[in-house]
Amino acid sequence: MSTTFERLSVILQQSFNLAPERLTPDATLAGLDIDSLGTVELLWKVEEVFRITIPAAPINPLTLSDVVHHIDQLVARSAAPLAKPPRVSPATPGAQAHPAT
Amino acid sequence: MRRVAVSGFGVVSPLGNSAELAFATARSGRSGIRVLDLPHYPFANRLSTPLAATAHLDEAALFTSMQLRMLDRFSLFALFAANQAVDASHRALAGLDLDRAGVFVGTGMGGITSQDEGYKTFYGDDSDRVKPFTILLGMHNAAAAWIGMEHGFRGPNMTYSTACSSSAVSIGEAWLRVASGQLDVAIAGGAEAPLAPGSLKAWCALHTVAQLDPQEPHASCRPFSGNRSGMVLGEGAAMLVLEPWDRAVARGAPILGEILGYGLSSDGSHITRPSVEGQAAALRCALQSAHIDAGAVDAINAHGTGTQANDSTETAAIRAVFGARAEHIPISATKAVHGHLLGAAGALECVLSLMAMRHAVALPTMHLQTPDPECDLDYVPGAARDGVAARTMLSNSFAFGGSNAVLVLGAGD
Repeated sequence: MSTTFERLSVILQQSFNLAPERLTPDATLAGLDIDSLGTVELLWKVEEVFRITIPAAPINPLTLSDVVHHIDQLVARSAAPLAKPPRVSPATPGAQAHPAT
Repeated sequence: MRRVAVSGFGVVSPLGNSAELAFATARSGRSGIRVLDLPHYPFANRLSTPLAATAHLDEAALFTSMQLRMLDRFSLFALFAANQAVDASHRALAGLDLDRAGVFVGTGMGGITSQDEGYKTFYGDDSDRVKPFTILLGMHNAAAAWIGMEHGFRGPNMTYSTACSSSAVSIGEAWLRVASGQLDVAIAGGAEAPLAPGSLKAWCALHTVAQLDPQEPHASCRPFSGNRSGMVLGEGAAMLVLEPWDRAVARGAPILGEILGYGLSSDGSHITRPSVEGQAAALRCALQSAHIDAGAVDAINAHGTGTQANDSTETAAIRAVFGARAEHIPISATKAVHGHLLGAAGALECVLSLMAMRHAVALPTMHLQTPDPECDLDYVPGAARDGVAARTMLSNSFAFGGSNAVLVLGAGD
């Protein structure tokens, strides 16, 4: 089975047209010309490939190994029981999404 | 105030992707309106009128993969038309102080295609995979921003959204800034790509779109005709390069026409129902702005949407301003063939009007088959009229919301 880094490298090659020899763990995103918007796009692809949900809060990985670290953490968390809260619909009886005042 | 020359045109339209092609097609009376086919428009069978005037741009060949990911269809149209206009201007940007260069774009619905796709993903597909750039694709000022970035302009970068008069307003506002000495070059025009499924459905729901003519679908939009039944949506963009007349002459630029003035008014009465008084006020304001009398107007490009309300109201407004002379002014309603480009309509019709003056032609109002006693002026029905040596034209744009704009155009000599 491919490692996280190998799977990340495939995304970077396919979606960002990056040559494989540039993709080393200590390569910085800035060095690969991936700016803040590029990072957003990369994380969107990562979500799909690794079947994880990246939190909405901004994250600023510096290097590819930082990205790998984030992915591994989220994959581990999503594998844990009850890691992902169930969707709560306001229509669900007893739901307290908008408590009455 | 300085004289303002038009030194470049760019067009993406259902009539072709250059000013010359769009003009030639409009002159021939060939319509860009067609039935929407299911393979390309998967929801067409759920539309009461599956009709539109579609533009065709080979996007994969013309844009980088980054641009295709970052730009909505309306921005791609806008950027392509703006680059055409700059190319046609014979180096209008050479030696330009970029702090004195601005972009003025009109759009009614902005990046509706991208927004629609995002909503479909979230609501329709029940997926959380909404594309990360949906906001950047969908925002109304994206097209103007991309044009400004393409050329490094650092002056005003403005977007106007006054529905169907958006790009008459954008050209008028750009004219004001160039004429007043604030700017040395403006790229001005409009862009619209409203043919997303949700948007088409919403337009059908408003009951302003034409009924499909089953025998001749391309002739379903019939401005000023007694059997008119509504408008047909269109997509595209048109952009102009504006600069001071003296600068254009000094650098030996092609002068394609002149902006002479611009009038604005508001109906102040109803969100959709047009007002004779409001439209007449915009016409008078435009004449005043250009310092000309009504007698100086040789021809008019009508707003002429093909709706019952607009065409009779516009006729009455023209009569109110021009009196008996109204009957002797050739009036063209080109939406019959290019459809209603909403926020890009005023810009496309401005380009077609300037081209018509250069070629001494009055463009035809096609599909005008049945007289209407309330529409009793000279609409140049059915075929172009040659030998019309117009030097001054008006281009009318009257919008939902009662936002009226009229451009005064000169032949540029």
